[in-house]
Amino acid sequence: MQRGIGLLAVLGLVLAIVVVAILGRRVTQQFEGRRWTLPARVYAQPLELYAGQQLSSTRFAEELARLGYIAQSPVDRPGTYRRRGDTVDVHVRAFAFPDERQPAQRLKVSFDEETVTTLAGDGGADVPVFRLDPLLIGSIFPIHGEDRIVVSPDQVPPLLPEALKAVEDRKFESHHGVNPLAILRAFFVNVRAGQVEQGGSTLTQQLVKSYFLDSRRTLRRKVEEAIMAFILESRFEKADIMNAYINEIYLGQDGRRAVHGFGLASQFYFGKPLSELNLQEIALMVAIVRGPSYYDPRRQPERALDRRNLVLKVLAEQGVVTTAEAERATKTKLGITDNAGRTANYFPAFLDLVRRQLREDYPENELTEAGLTVFTTLDPLLQEKAETALSAELERQDESGSKRAKNLEGSLVVTTPQTGEIVAVVGGRRAAFDGFNRALDMKRPIGSLAKPLVYLAALESGRYTPGSTVVDEPIELKLDNGELWKPGNYDMKVHGPVTLVRALTQSYNLATVNLGLEIGLGPVTRTYVELGLDDAPPRFPSVLLGAAQLNPVEVAQMYNTLANGGYRSPLRAVRAVVDAEGKPLKAPELEVTQAASAEAIYTLDRLLIEVFERGTARPAKRSLPEGLVVAGKTGTSNDYRDSWFAGFSGGHLIVVWMGHDDNAPTGLTGTTGALQAWTRLMATIGTSSFEPLLPEDVEDRWIDYYTGLETSPYCTRSAVSLPFAVGQPIPPSPTCPPGTTREEGALMLLSGFETDSADTTEPPARP
Amino acid sequence: MRSTARSIVVALVLAVAAGCAAPPFKSGPPAPTAPSPSGRGPTLPTVPPPGSTTEPVIEAPAPAQLPRERPKVAPATLSPASKALVSQAQAQRKRGDLPGATVSLERALRIEPRNPLLWVEMGRLRMDQRNYPQAEAMGRKALSMAIGDSRTQSQAWQLVADALRARGRNVEAQEALERSQELAVN
Repeated sequence: MQRGIGLLAVLGLVLAIVVVAILGRRVTQQFEGRRWTLPARVYAQPLELYAGQQLSSTRFAEELARLGYIAQSPVDRPGTYRRRGDTVDVHVRAFAFPDERQPAQRLKVSFDEETVTTLAGDGGADVPVFRLDPLLIGSIFPIHGEDRIVVSPDQVPPLLPEALKAVEDRKFESHHGVNPLAILRAFFVNVRAGQVEQGGSTLTQQLVKSYFLDSRRTLRRKVEEAIMAFILESRFEKADIMNAYINEIYLGQDGRRAVHGFGLASQFYFGKPLSELNLQEIALMVAIVRGPSYYDPRRQPERALDRRNLVLKVLAEQGVVTTAEAERATKTKLGITDNAGRTANYFPAFLDLVRRQLREDYPENELTEAGLTVFTTLDPLLQEKAETALSAELERQDESGSKRAKNLEGSLVVTTPQTGEIVAVVGGRRAAFDGFNRALDMKRPIGSLAKPLVYLAALESGRYTPGSTVVDEPIELKLDNGELWKPGNYDMKVHGPVTLVRALTQSYNLATVNLGLEIGLGPVTRTYVELGLDDAPPRFPSVLLGAAQLNPVEVAQMYNTLANGGYRSPLRAVRAVVDAEGKPLKAPELEVTQAASAEAIYTLDRLLIEVFERGTARPAKRSLPEGLVVAGKTGTSNDYRDSWFAGFSGGHLIVVWMGHDDNAPTGLTGTTGALQAWTRLMATIGTSSFEPLLPEDVEDRWIDYYTGLETSPYCTRSAVSLPFAVGQPIPPSPTCPPGTTREEGALMLLSGFETDSADTTEPPARP
Repeated sequence: MRSTARSIVVALVLAVAAGCAAPPFKSGPPAPTAPSPSGRGPTLPTVPPPGSTTEPVIEAPAPAQLPRERPKVAPATLSPASKALVSQAQAQRKRGDLPGATVSLERALRIEPRNPLLWVEMGRLRMDQRNYPQAEAMGRKALSMAIGDSRTQSQAWQLVADALRARGRNVEAQEALERSQELAVN
């Protein structure tokens, strides 16, 4: 009998040892392994400051505020600044850029209205160029949605662990992982209430619980947690456990993204690093620990405020802060960053693009666990302007009275053509909504955006000039499937022989189809690949009118080549990637490849400028800054289902799509829809004119827009200056010959000799 | 009257037109102020030799060809910000920190994306990285941005020549080198 009990006791002991060993291994692995599972952190491009830069002190102060810099005097610690008239004093934070670690430092920036005049470092030394610390725009977190920014103990304000201990676990420094008294107290409270009301968990127990993502409050879990907490305490220092807690604990939800750790929570709630939080902000974070959803300061501000003030009271009672400090903090507001219900600085469509580009070089787990830092091309200010421009235009369409244009969706992509960088991406009208990303996942027929490719193929063949005649005549084609294809013009008219420049700028369908068939579908579809697509579209005649279905980023890729002098640069969203130790890793490089002859691209670009001078984008001209030269093309797909515009200045390419998700007709052309949003944005970003240099073997000549004959600008209103190969023979206009001087022209006009008047009543432009 | 008008050379038409009704792309880039030899970057004189390079070279008109007005432009120069970044990039290249040099040069390119000198610098960096096709492409891109600027074109041709020679394309390299030298004398 006694032997049986003894055996049982031994068995029980062995079992207990095994269980403890298993649990111990599990929790130790978690604890040690956790230090290495860090989602990649993603940064926007830094704001570069230099003398001569276009930037006002007001805009600069806004940028600092976006980065979480606090306006205060004196400017005595990193993350603060002071603006006095046209001078801004900043204490810039330290930041590890991919090429060097920039220490925290003082910087004085002087402005003259819209321009930076000087930058001065500490002691007044002239600084030629300076990067601000970039905006953190997110991280690449794993499928289960945990996101965090890990902080080291020196980045944690000392007040935070003190406050956590005072509120959550007063015996933290002395207990062995479990606080039996606290559990007992909680037990009685809960029994009396008949439900679980109070937790007696130590910080260590909370940490263990968080590791295994199991919120079931069964007795078995409780016991397991207690054992694991005990084991953790026996193997690790208190300081390590506190640091793990600070980086581990769940503090909020942002859609699919679970906000873990105080480092990310600080960015999520206050838009600045943890080290810069003040008393009331730390108190709020400690308040949230108890119930991130119940005390959500965005959804439940009053509840959160009450609990924060309770925390402040406890901190004063426990002597962590003085009563006066606590009282002062109690009077403050919550101070949460929030732009009208959206998470500040969250750009899901751009992050999606970054994630996809990174996946080409990195396996998923490396992105979500290896602690990489990703430096991207996003320009936060431009991104915000892009979101505003698109949503403002979509709202205008809502109110326009047209039923079909109500509740439209849209997408927008902005690049800087020379460096091939994608600086803004909008995936839908609710830009902060992490859902269907139209910039990448929506493929639509590009309509007349395809025409410049046809004309490029024509110019490259060497058989056409801007003045060449193409025939705008009806055409019927028997397709391979036996169907009859009968395209028509937008204005339902037939224009007969027209010049190349007119056919493109007015977007004539019949002329384009005839031209495309003369050149051949092979050369035309090859142009798509030359300009940057991975695959040529199928060789159907309808490709000539834009049947190819592309997403806005693909369109941007092709048009970027047109905007970049014919040099193709694979569009980049990522500039650099560094590992957890700061070592540079593989990232896409700036590449340029000549895609088409300089002469053909130059000529096409000049025709695309004419689209704004005489063609379908002419209505936009008055909404753009005086003298800004831009080039582009409208696109409308069949039955007005898609409204496109793709166009560029000297510094920026913008592609806009508008339409319905269910592909219903919008009633909009490229001109009345997408061009409007394009113009709104282009007019507000302080861009430069598109001014390509005339290639060596090309010269400008005056030709008649309607006849293509060489002419003079002094005796006709339809003279247009366009590039030709040097010495290209062009037949002269008999009525207004080339070389006619201003005086001669005036005489001719006086004598009633009006020329080329036959076709000056241009039908409405076809988008 | 018409025949007289027709006989006026195209260049004259263009000249008149440029003054009155030309679209903005007709005007050349604003004349920069300081010259900058390639590969030396920021260690440059900051004051241009006045008038020495801006005068168009007038030669005897070629027979049977229309005289072409291709105004010479002053050599491209770097802004103080780019200059600082280029010298930083050169220091980084010197100590073998090519990723660092890439970061610095790309920063400069974002500030002055159409400065041909920066594309020549970028091409030199690609030479260090043994990416010769890209070095050549960047040299050619610089050429397209330096039309009329013989000093910068000479540097760009030199880069193209080096990139071609590195791939054993000696005949083309020789031609590029000759163009570089011709332009250097101009």
